[in-house]
Amino acid sequence: MQQGDGQETEVTWEDQQNINKFGRLNNKFHELEDEIKAKKEMAENFEDAGNELMLTDEEEVRYLIGEVFSHMPKDEVETQLEGLKEENKEELRKLEEEKKAILAQMAELKKILYSKFKDSINLEEE
Amino acid sequence: MASTTSPSERRGIPAAAFVHDVQTFLTQSNYDASTALVALQDRLQQYKLAEMKLLAQRRDLQGKIPDIKKCVEIVATLKSKKGTGETMKVDFELAEGIYSRAKIPEADSVCLWLGANVMLEYPLEEAMKLLQSNLENATASLKVIIEDAQFLRDQVTVTEVTIARVYNFDVHQRRKLRNQGKKEAS
Repeated sequence: MQQGDGQETEVTWEDQQNINKFGRLNNKFHELEDEIKAKKEMAENFEDAGNELMLTDEEEVRYLIGEVFSHMPKDEVETQLEGLKEENKEELRKLEEEKKAILAQMAELKKILYSKFKDSINLEEE
Repeated sequence: MASTTSPSERRGIPAAAFVHDVQTFLTQSNYDASTALVALQDRLQQYKLAEMKLLAQRRDLQGKIPDIKKCVEIVATLKSKKGTGETMKVDFELAEGIYSRAKIPEADSVCLWLGANVMLEYPLEEAMKLLQSNLENATASLKVIIEDAQFLRDQVTVTEVTIARVYNFDVHQRRKLRNQGKKEAS
């Protein structure tokens, strides 16, 4: 929010609520971005783990459960890994959807607020 | 914001009053613009401080939840091995970067660290229940904290907007006065 050049535009409670909503959405947007980044990294790690599993000759590999590495047969780990991959993919998809919805809402609010306050308001990131 | 009637306080934190008209606000509170700005800035600082505290609590909880999940995961594994007669072979960390191998025979119980230097042995079922309820509690408090933080964010925004409006009002008033002065001089 920026302090304008001193031009007066009346701010109603409704405007204020819209501004609040925009602030919240913007916050949420950044949180989502972080979560999406983390999930993408996770997906890469799963991918790497999958590739390593394919390359190894060992029948028994170590799989991290809690804080310990459990010795487990390779094919069991492969199934586990597939499950995790799918789960992660699904979560990522949900987050991306949520992000899209939030961006749309933000664009809508921007339209309303800019048309009323012109350049007395600044809704862009610094 | 869901409804038009917003709460006047949350957990002892008063909501920022919305100013409908700056002029009325100033006359009613007997402030001139600069004292009003100082008071508002003060308020803003308080909100921001409370927000920072909340965010720290939130980070704490967000770190705790994965830890509990890890515990749930390993207890679940032990539970699934129960009755199969299988021995779990694990590598575990003795100290930073030093690992040793352990065999865990079919187990009926685990010991949970309860904090305050107390560890208690639980049957697997009960341990699982306890961990699950811990996880639920942590998730529930996280939800409340997120809502609190949103409330605070709104109050910060209201206060910031009010500051900008009082400031603009003041600039406008000064300009009017100056223009009047010029007119009288000419």
